[in-house]
Amino acid sequence: MATLPAFFKKNEEGAGAPRGRDAATRTNRMRAVRDPFQLRALPHEHLFLYNKRIDNSRLVREADPKSRGACWSAIGAASVLAVLLTSASAPSVATTIAGYKLEALRIEERRLLEEHRGLDLQEAELLSPARLDRLAQQNNLVAPSSGQVFHLEGKPQGAVAMAK
Amino acid sequence: MVERRLTCLAVIILLWGAAILKNLISLQVVHHREYAIRARSIQEVEVEIPAPRGTIFDRDGRPLAMSLASRSVFINPMKVDVGVASDLLGYLLHMDRGELFLKIKQAADAHRGYLTIKRKLTPEEYDNLLNLKSRVEWVSLSHESQRHYPNGTLAAHVLGSVDFEEKGNAGIEKSLDTELRGTPGRTRLLTDVHRRGIAPQTSIPAKPGTSLTLTIDERLQFVAEREIAAAVIGYHAASGSVVVMKPDTGDILAMASYPTFDPNIPVERGEDAKPRMNHAFSVPFEPGSVYKVVTYSAGFETTDLRPETPINCNGGKLTFGIRTIHDSHAGMWVVPAATAFAKSSNIGAIQVGLKVGQVNMHDYMLRFGFGQKTGLPLPGESPGKVYRLERWGKTSLASVSMGQEVSVTTLQLAQAGCVIASGGMLVKPRLVLKRGDRTEPVPAPVRVLKPENAITMRQMMEGVVLVGTGSRARLAGYSSGGKTGSAQIYDYASKHYTHTYNGSYMGFAPMANPQVVVVVTLNGTHGENGFGGHAAAPVFKIVAGEALRVFDVPKDLPENLPARTLVAGNPEDLNDLAIADLGGAGHNILQDTEDAETGEAETAPPEPPVYGPHPVETAPGAPLGPPAAAGPPPAVAAPPRPQGPRVPNFRGMTMRAVLAEAAAKGLFILPDGSGIARVQSPPPGAPLHQGERIRVQFAQ
Repeated sequence: MATLPAFFKKNEEGAGAPRGRDAATRTNRMRAVRDPFQLRALPHEHLFLYNKRIDNSRLVREADPKSRGACWSAIGAASVLAVLLTSASAPSVATTIAGYKLEALRIEERRLLEEHRGLDLQEAELLSPARLDRLAQQNNLVAPSSGQVFHLEGKPQGAVAMAK
Repeated sequence: MVERRLTCLAVIILLWGAAILKNLISLQVVHHREYAIRARSIQEVEVEIPAPRGTIFDRDGRPLAMSLASRSVFINPMKVDVGVASDLLGYLLHMDRGELFLKIKQAADAHRGYLTIKRKLTPEEYDNLLNLKSRVEWVSLSHESQRHYPNGTLAAHVLGSVDFEEKGNAGIEKSLDTELRGTPGRTRLLTDVHRRGIAPQTSIPAKPGTSLTLTIDERLQFVAEREIAAAVIGYHAASGSVVVMKPDTGDILAMASYPTFDPNIPVERGEDAKPRMNHAFSVPFEPGSVYKVVTYSAGFETTDLRPETPINCNGGKLTFGIRTIHDSHAGMWVVPAATAFAKSSNIGAIQVGLKVGQVNMHDYMLRFGFGQKTGLPLPGESPGKVYRLERWGKTSLASVSMGQEVSVTTLQLAQAGCVIASGGMLVKPRLVLKRGDRTEPVPAPVRVLKPENAITMRQMMEGVVLVGTGSRARLAGYSSGGKTGSAQIYDYASKHYTHTYNGSYMGFAPMANPQVVVVVTLNGTHGENGFGGHAAAPVFKIVAGEALRVFDVPKDLPENLPARTLVAGNPEDLNDLAIADLGGAGHNILQDTEDAETGEAETAPPEPPVYGPHPVETAPGAPLGPPAAAGPPPAVAAPPRPQGPRVPNFRGMTMRAVLAEAAAKGLFILPDGSGIARVQSPPPGAPLHQGERIRVQFAQ
């Protein structure tokens, strides 16, 4: 690897390193059997990397009953926590949802009240004396005299009357 | 080494956690209030809860005026493209785009930041604008309230109208505006991110306006308005009014005035104000002969006057020093008071007035409610005018006796008519039956006349209908009484009375227990056809007939009585003109702006006038000439009572008894109807001439 120490080391070896046949002989003497897993050595580095495949397929994890219990405990604790959180937040959520519904119902109530008033107005316009008089004239109707109408159930408010 | 690294890592994590905790405490404890306020200002919206204006109902609960919510659209002219805005809004609101363009441009040039485009949007227009609002931000919508009068012009003068802010500007809408106007409420609404409401936090409830139930009957009001409009148009009058009242409670069942207006249409600048004037309530006039009811009533109360008392009408002419009064029925001499009243003799009324005297006459004018406001909750009431006694001149008593030198309103005449109809009790008119659910109490009546005198007056008024000037007011199936009036109108420019008239009719029905009082006035009629008996009486007939039908009043006369009167109905018989010109008094009471009556009148003994021809030999006890001490002026002496047979009194007798007595005395009877004798002509006690037939009307 071209690092600074290697760089300095290289320069230092360049000053006091053996030269000529001595350098080649030493190199031959030092070349030993290479580890098959060793990766190619980095120049001027004393860092050696190995790549070894390890097959753990025959390994089987030993059963640990305690961990199962711990796992279930964790699940139970999480569930309890979730239920507690849900119970704690449910009223406020329900309140919010109810608030939405309440406001919607209030708007609906106001709308229906306004619609009712509009219908009252329409009814008053349809029952206006001028309109009824006009319709009576169109249909050749005349008002009864006072002795001509006999109220069966008291005075009008939708009372039934009979003309005699 | 590893432990040191782990320790460093733990310290870093702890420091980080401490920083978070510190921020949490800062947010939720130290600055909690500040952030809560800021959050509330963002999340909460203050919403106004509208309070609708109170509804006005008629006496049967039918709405006469009510409010509905409406919406309006406005923009900021400084922030819009004028062309785009005018095109879009003109299309959606069906408005002229050119006009809208000019309007928005003018507002933008004037640097106005607010411009209302249209008020009272239809539901379709509102939906279109809602869609537009979601796409552009320069359109805004606001909620308002709009007043509706579903019957149009019906009772317009009573109801009045409101302006664009729904504030009353006329009629009962104005006088009771505080009660009708509601108080809006407020609520703080928690909203979500989409500004939808979640729940109200605090609220002040809205207080709707108080609903009012009037005494007005919608059906009678319609009939009264229809008939007065037809009469004004038919007789080419300037205006007219009708008031219908219940005499026992003072309820105003109808108050119609013509010309009229539609309160749904807002007032425009420069609009003629005359249609919006309530002629029944705000416009006084000289009543003329209809005022003789007060004169004769005062006569019954303060003198020995009876219906059969002979009165010298002096051939229709009476002289006051240099002034001469003429009667409309020339040629009447000594007649019973009932006949003088039925024929509306001015001289007869003056003779009665002289008997009553100034002090008593003035007193009874005030007792009948003239010269004072009735107190109705309507703006612009005229109290009419009754001069203080100090201002009465030498001829004032004569003028007042026949309905001149006094100004009244139609409502005051109706109030006076109710005194006669109710047996002598003055009941203040009332217009509001209920405020919300609370029924208004009937005002306490005040006795004005003795019951027997009121009944006598009723009978005399029945004579007006049967044999007098009120023949055209006769009702089919009902007995009725009334008095006509035809007063000349004063011209301020020429300072003279003209030949245009205020034709009036005051009447009630039925006789035994009057249920309705109707007063009709037509202002500015012309010629003989404009007299009260001709023009106003037929309106009474229709309106009173309808009122009796609506209230299901049982009939007290057979249906098959002849429509015409017992006396030949020629126009001369309807003449009840109060001749107003007394030689130029120089001013007219309607022109007078000085307050006529503000309290107790301090009276000085009147200077005894000299009226009529010099008295001849009078009956013992009657005063001669002017009185030595202060007191009522002397009555004009009647000629000595003629000797000879007199008409017997058949009233209250059965037909068999009448015929038997007539046969025994050799009298000729003309019976009419069946039952008990109720009216006869000539009246009892009148001199009976040879061959004269006595007409007797019978009823059940």
